Amino acid sequence: MKILHKNRLIATGLILTVLTVVAFLLFPEEKIDYNSQVKPILNKHCISCHGGVKKNGGFSLLFEGEAKAETKSGHLAIIPGHPDKSEMIRRLTSDDPEERMPYEKPPLSSADIKILRKWIAQGAQWGIHWAYLPVGNPATPDLKNNDEFRSWGRNDIDNFIYEKIHAYGLTPSPRAALPILARRLSLDLIGLPPPPDSFDSISSAESDTLMDSFVDALMESPHFGEKWAGMWMDLARYSDTKGYERDDSRTIWKYRDWLIKSFNEDKPYDRFLIEQIAGDLFENPTEDDMIATAFHRNTMTNDEGGTDNEEFRVAAVIDRVNTTWETVMGTSFACVQCHSHPFDPIKHDEYYKVMAFFNNTRDEDTFDDYPVFRHFSEADSLNFYELKAWLHQNADQKKAREIQMLVQTWQPTINSLVSDQFVNSELSDTKWLVYRKNGSSRLRDISLDGKNTIIARFRSFKPGGKIDIHIDSLTGSKIASYSFPQTDGRWDYAEIKCLETPGRHDLHFHYTNSNLPDSLSNGIMFDWLYLSDGFPGKGVSGYEANKEKFWQLMKINAFQTPVMLENPPEMHRQTKVFERGNWLTQGETVQPGVPAFLELPMDNLPNNRLGLAQWITDPSHPLTARVYVNRLWEQLFGIGIVETLEDFGTQGIAPTHQALLDHLAWKFVHEFHWSTKKMLKYIVSSATYQQSSKSASEQLEIDPQNRLYARGRRMRLSAEQIRDQALVVSGLFSEKMYGPSVMPFQPENIWNSPYNGRKWVQNSGENQYRRALYTYWKRTGAYPSMLIFDAMPREVCASRRISTNTPLQALVTLNDPVYVEAADRFAMRMLKEGGNTPEEQISHGYYLMMCMPITEEKLNILINLYKSVKNDSLIKTVALRETDKNDSAHLAAMKIVANAMLNLDEFIMKN
Amino acid sequence: MDFHSDIIRALHQQTRRQFLKQGSLGLGALALTFLNGGCSDSSSKGNGIITDQNPFAPKPPHFPGRVKNVIYIHMAGAPSQLELFEYKPELLKLDGQLCPPSLMEGKRFAFIRGIPKMLGPQAIFNQHGESRAWISNLLPHLSTIADELTFLKAVHTDQFNHAPAQLLMHTGTPRLGRPSLGSWVTYGLGTENSNLPGFVVLTSGGNNPDAGKSVWGNGFLPSVYQGVHCRSDGDPVLFINNPSDIDQEKRKSTIDAINDINRLTYQEFKDAETLTRISQYELAYNMQITVPEVMNIADEPEYIHSMYGSNPHESIFANNALLARKLVERGVRFVQLFDWGWDTHGTSEDGSIDIGLVNKCRQTDKAVTALILDLKQRGLLDETLVIWGGEFGRTPMQENREGKVNPFKGRDHHAEAFTMWMAGGGLKKGFSYGETDEIGYSAMEGKVDPFDIQATILHLLGFDHERLTYPFQGRNFRLTDVGGRVIKEILA
Repeated sequence: MKILHKNRLIATGLILTVLTVVAFLLFPEEKIDYNSQVKPILNKHCISCHGGVKKNGGFSLLFEGEAKAETKSGHLAIIPGHPDKSEMIRRLTSDDPEERMPYEKPPLSSADIKILRKWIAQGAQWGIHWAYLPVGNPATPDLKNNDEFRSWGRNDIDNFIYEKIHAYGLTPSPRAALPILARRLSLDLIGLPPPPDSFDSISSAESDTLMDSFVDALMESPHFGEKWAGMWMDLARYSDTKGYERDDSRTIWKYRDWLIKSFNEDKPYDRFLIEQIAGDLFENPTEDDMIATAFHRNTMTNDEGGTDNEEFRVAAVIDRVNTTWETVMGTSFACVQCHSHPFDPIKHDEYYKVMAFFNNTRDEDTFDDYPVFRHFSEADSLNFYELKAWLHQNADQKKAREIQMLVQTWQPTINSLVSDQFVNSELSDTKWLVYRKNGSSRLRDISLDGKNTIIARFRSFKPGGKIDIHIDSLTGSKIASYSFPQTDGRWDYAEIKCLETPGRHDLHFHYTNSNLPDSLSNGIMFDWLYLSDGFPGKGVSGYEANKEKFWQLMKINAFQTPVMLENPPEMHRQTKVFERGNWLTQGETVQPGVPAFLELPMDNLPNNRLGLAQWITDPSHPLTARVYVNRLWEQLFGIGIVETLEDFGTQGIAPTHQALLDHLAWKFVHEFHWSTKKMLKYIVSSATYQQSSKSASEQLEIDPQNRLYARGRRMRLSAEQIRDQALVVSGLFSEKMYGPSVMPFQPENIWNSPYNGRKWVQNSGENQYRRALYTYWKRTGAYPSMLIFDAMPREVCASRRISTNTPLQALVTLNDPVYVEAADRFAMRMLKEGGNTPEEQISHGYYLMMCMPITEEKLNILINLYKSVKNDSLIKTVALRETDKNDSAHLAAMKIVANAMLNLDEFIMKN
Repeated sequence: MDFHSDIIRALHQQTRRQFLKQGSLGLGALALTFLNGGCSDSSSKGNGIITDQNPFAPKPPHFPGRVKNVIYIHMAGAPSQLELFEYKPELLKLDGQLCPPSLMEGKRFAFIRGIPKMLGPQAIFNQHGESRAWISNLLPHLSTIADELTFLKAVHTDQFNHAPAQLLMHTGTPRLGRPSLGSWVTYGLGTENSNLPGFVVLTSGGNNPDAGKSVWGNGFLPSVYQGVHCRSDGDPVLFINNPSDIDQEKRKSTIDAINDINRLTYQEFKDAETLTRISQYELAYNMQITVPEVMNIADEPEYIHSMYGSNPHESIFANNALLARKLVERGVRFVQLFDWGWDTHGTSEDGSIDIGLVNKCRQTDKAVTALILDLKQRGLLDETLVIWGGEFGRTPMQENREGKVNPFKGRDHHAEAFTMWMAGGGLKKGFSYGETDEIGYSAMEGKVDPFDIQATILHLLGFDHERLTYPFQGRNFRLTDVGGRVIKEILA
């Protein structure tokens, strides 16, 4: 990089100087480009004091309007066409150290000042950052007449790549050997090693056709979805626990399965995003649409006693905003939470306008992660469909939908934790409302219009408890009174009749129970309340039976997935700007809206999350497709065309091949219609992808970082792939897909969260050998061997993993019982399948690992290892029977050889 | 760019010739010879593909530091400053009286609801040493070294729940996801013994801290900077021990064979990552020998065990205190001790001021004192910074939950004022900074927050906290976020 950079800089510098001089002499009107010439100067020298955070002297360079407006001193900093009258130029060139800018820093170079002068003279035209401009369809470089290219290139990607390789005086590399390519393709597309004989005895003439069908076969493999779901799980901060102190379990694996299925069925990316962001707002959302919205329920929930639930609800909403922007649009939107973006043209209040789209979901940091989708068993589903059908016949549409939603989600309920004014009552563990003797509390501002029934989820600890509900004050008129049965601490449901009262009121609850022994005992606990006008169709045939069904469904202990659900209008929250990002200091109220800098208005779209999702996936959105194809590229090449996957803004690293990025993004939307599989196939079919990763010294010299792609990229496998691969070659691997997360072997004492009784209980049978992505993921105590190989804890969204190479990793693959077991089984497999001699057996093992024959040199090294350990005194004590394949000394020695083989660099890496 | 951007680049490049500089004995020497002489021309031309960047190589800080190592003792749950260091006779007079409403207005508490009663000190205070520092009778050992300590009496935080407050103290944010202090320090300074992890975490008290492993997490820094949790049960470092049927000799043969083949791979592909892997396997081998040796306290002399109160057969804080000294002595950069169980609401015997706190002090007082004295007698205290504290303090009021009286004496979480102390190089010894009001409720003078403490720790190590940064999600992050002031008043 250094060298490349330096060369490029020198070259660019030289060219620029020459060009400038020539241009100045010949074409004095040579046009200054804002993005490539002016903005870098402003970002480097000016914007930290005159930008989104500080606006010293009332002057900011972030927005054109601000930059050209009057400053505090009354002067205009920039007067288009008149550099000499512009205060900015005067201050940049002033001799007075008190005036000269940048203040107390070295002055700008005369070249920089010249550019700024000229830019102002030419009218000070503002430019838009490349990533915020619409994606065009750039012309493919014409290389018809280049012989070298014609014998190398395979598709248009190669034209873009070759052009640059050629410009740097390099030549591209030939295609990798077929077995290497097979392993690379398989690991890249399905995350698992290929069948070792995929490319045996294939002539190069046949190889193209075969390669094509091999790629197709990989794309059709059900394991394809597992590999790509893995990528998305880091972005979605997927975890099987809720995070923070107690970090208790959460069942959200159906979302992980949804991801796998979506990638397998090649769900168009626009649809894929819309379902995740707003599936709940569809006209008639399916169970899958609802599960998709769990994307944004992977935010953390804080169960620690004494925490303010509103604080952590807000934290979750903010996380949704930030994750949406980073994952989908590669924008560091989180900066705008506290102030206008320091470098990119995004205003402070625009953050909160986007937040307003997300601020009206029902979640309130409850222990049970409400709202949830309740999954019914087959029998319950049948009941549910019958109920639905009856409602269709006998209730109006709105009411039918309301009941359906209530049964499926228990929403929209009022969580008891929003209560206040506690007397002899409290939020137990800050989660559920609990009353003691003569206890009372309040629910604020509840709409009672048309409501005559209250459903309550409660549990009581003593018989004889009674609740009276008064409106407006504890002595106000009583609208309901109910005696609760004892449930011995089990959750149950009560249907309470209440007087219909117009308007919004505070509800004051008063609990009495003469059976409580003392003033400290808890009498009753509430989870939530639901207010309605009751079950419809009284008097109609089937009323009793269907009401019975309704109650059955309400009460079943259904399996739950946290989902997004919007507040009904009467529960609407206002969104306010947080001054300097502090949620306790709230400023003006804002309405939902998208930021202006992308110049893509939200016309004709609903002003809610669904509209936002549709805006994001508008084919002319400048960022969505670019950011996604860049992610796919990074998965295949180890580095993005834009290296900063998470930041396409002006502070991100500029693309190495901008035209190629646009070419891919354009094709993705307009030709491939958002198909991930077509996009991947296009990339892996290129000569660029299929190159050999052997480095010629000339390439290392000119392009050590391989940013020109004149060779293939060797990459270390991911944490998941390293585990999966060891299981596959040893024969332990379970192909079982989907379902609850599993607990394979993990060392003792990894989990030790306070107030959390959960234990890692190792699975038996094939669940010990499932793919790594099914491993139970606990945020504050994630699976250790994967963390050591750079897996992310998934506390927040993470765009890329930084690959490291450490001694602790060596210890994992040498000593972790998972890998020791894999080595033992691998040794047995070599003995069983590999022939009679250690030479044959080791050769077979190597072939299973690498899909190619072992070289003599490597074989000799392993045979020497075999001999030295077999002669070891420990092993010698066992009688040697050379002819017996199951000879224990032989097996013991082969286990050590197997352990060494599974640790080889070429096995941990992708060649 | 900053001095460390090379490291970032090196990590991205995955081209590191790690540890070879230090590992020039034994197996390491082989690799070094190979590197310098054996391999092809491209690597010796210094064209950037093979850099000397090792993420743990000792690196100079921004300016000469006063200390080289840190031992941070965190008492998770928050010890009561009012029973240990804050002598408040006025509070004794108010004992049992209702808390004046003025103290409650506009405040948020974790558990107190309604009007609580004041709770007088539940310990006896005396002044100690020439510095006349007030220390209670719950800490008889620490009292004898009062003149070694530098107190911060007016620490305040804005988090009043355990996990967020611990995260703020150690990672500079109450939310999960940022690197911890130890990660920043090893990222900035590297470490001096590559046969041991640079950042070691030891836990006691039966639980991990409330914020879990995230308080020693690497956040967005490369995972090499993650704290390594050394354990008292099982492998001291995960996977450090060979399977039972592999001895060190066989392990060595295995690693030799792996590296011989990896050298062939390097010749074929010329990928510097392969060279790094070769040296990492050498290092793993060295760690397998060094770590169990260091983590074994059984060989320490009897007088050391009686000084600390340590016992190799138990899993106790005192063992960790002793280990902290051993690790620092061997060049480990950052040792983080967490002791769980200091949360004294009065809801249970263990969680009470009158019983639980007394027991926690008994379990730790001797060992903490021994650690300081032991570092001193070995000449290590001058180059080590020892920090003691919790995530917040405790209220002068007895906890009250809507009229529910707790069965034991207890205090709620208190973010406004609490005590921490430091000892070691670069500090004014026997010094106290900051004051609270007469009941220990609010900080009056010398108020400091977690960012100030972090800035001061980094300063003592030689860092300008505003310049120790790492780019992530589009901006340069630092430990102290947008805050932090070096507490110059306590610097010698």
